[in-house]
Amino acid sequence: MKIVVGGQIDKKKIKDIIVNFAGDKVSVDVLGDLDAAMAMQAGQYDYYIGACNTGGGGALAMAIALLGMDQCATLSMPGKILSDEKIKEEVEKGKVAFGFTAQDADNVLSVVLPLIIK
Amino acid sequence: MELVIIGLLGALASILANKQIAVFHDGFRPIVGNYLNGKIDKKTLGVTSFALSFGLVIGFGLPFSIGKSIILIHCILLATDIIGSLSPEGKKGLIVSGVIGGLFGVGLSLGLDLIIEAFTHLPYNFLPHLGSVGKPVVVAFAVFPALAVALQHDFKKGMYTLAAIFASMVLINKYGTFDISGNTVKLSMEGMGLLVGVIMMVVFAIRTGETTSSNEQLVSIFSQNVARIKKNWIYLVVMGAIVSAATAATIIAGDPISLNLMAEGQMTEAALAAFARGIGFVPLIFTTAIATGVYAPAGVTFVFAIGIITGNPWLAFPLGGAMIGLELLALDGTAKFLDRFAGVKNMGEHIRTSMNNVLEIALLVGSMIAANAMSPKFGFLFVVALYTINRTSKKPLVNIAVGPIAVILLGVILNVLALLNLWVVPV
Repeated sequence: MKIVVGGQIDKKKIKDIIVNFAGDKVSVDVLGDLDAAMAMQAGQYDYYIGACNTGGGGALAMAIALLGMDQCATLSMPGKILSDEKIKEEVEKGKVAFGFTAQDADNVLSVVLPLIIK
Repeated sequence: MELVIIGLLGALASILANKQIAVFHDGFRPIVGNYLNGKIDKKTLGVTSFALSFGLVIGFGLPFSIGKSIILIHCILLATDIIGSLSPEGKKGLIVSGVIGGLFGVGLSLGLDLIIEAFTHLPYNFLPHLGSVGKPVVVAFAVFPALAVALQHDFKKGMYTLAAIFASMVLINKYGTFDISGNTVKLSMEGMGLLVGVIMMVVFAIRTGETTSSNEQLVSIFSQNVARIKKNWIYLVVMGAIVSAATAATIIAGDPISLNLMAEGQMTEAALAAFARGIGFVPLIFTTAIATGVYAPAGVTFVFAIGIITGNPWLAFPLGGAMIGLELLALDGTAKFLDRFAGVKNMGEHIRTSMNNVLEIALLVGSMIAANAMSPKFGFLFVVALYTINRTSKKPLVNIAVGPIAVILLGVILNVLALLNLWVVPV
């Protein structure tokens, strides 16, 4: 499985969290948000993960613009993290690009990674 | 005068959001793009706008604006995104959004004045302490380029940048005062430090030699979007002119760092900080604009720097407008530039991250000092408690706003305690 880390900030930290969780089960690349969204569009990656300070701002902006809203889910925004069930729903709906607020990275990834990496 | 400017600002920004010409929230812009493509309906657009922005108005914009005479722009332009998106389409929407937006601007300004007035009637007026929350920001902000360099490149380059910033601050502090025909001219220590840091940051970014072609591809895929933005140039120019004039009149500020510097009267430093922040926003705002055909009401935020540096609304108005005009002309060309110097594009997100980190820690310390001054018995405990416990919440406050919110809460609690005779108001 291939995951691309886009979004705006804390990319290295997110990559480390994913690698720590999945080891060599996934290959993780860090790209600029635009390049990452384009690579997703070209089918080079299975999932897009990104963070910014507002969740859904810089985290998902280019993904939403290029892939469309029906492919993207904002898992946390300031003042609100989606419940574990809601995150599960989003994954099951077939969303492939996830954005969240950087400060929630640990919380959100601990829920979403087990769902997408099997 | 002040109410007229802020009323116009609110009205025009709401109309631009209503007509899908410009929205402030960078994450909301692609969603407007989806609406323009017919992928989502008007109701979803309005609801999403509310969901994205309302929490930020309350949790980010207001805490930085309460008790200050300057309003953080997020309070206004995130709200006008919502007003414009929830208003109906067509002529009716134009009128509805314009009127509500204008009333909102005026109401916000009056409301915040009312809050300042209300403070003086409290048993314990903690407004002066609230003002001191931003004190560490005023000096510490100059360090952000060093952190941005460390984040983008490595620890060692970050330390070099820090050393250069620190050295220039020491030198300016010692030798930065001149006598020019009897007038004492004092160079700003933090301002010069920041300038040196920003220059090093840009040089390091250019020297990475990274290139890409994705921005130019984006422009060619979405050329009709670029055309749509340029077609609306007159509205965008007027909007930018008003934002710049409002900043020059110190009614609004574009970010918490320059807001605190402006409140301390350090205009040169505020302008530099606003300008450096603008550099960080160029890639994000340009790429989202090109991909959606929707621009930002304050452009890439350079209009704030222009407003601060001119300090005169009448001068800021034409210059701010001209700035937006330049940005629109540069829309295609900048994409090429960002491709050639991909290191500079990547620098953008590190600038935003580092400003955020610096702000978070500086405000946290400022809040602790302020809280301790208010109540040496509970102050430190209260801020530390709120900051740490907040992180475990399912509905956490934005980290950088926790400090100011904690001080406001503590002030309210102390007042209640004073009324209950459980706490003695210090003399």
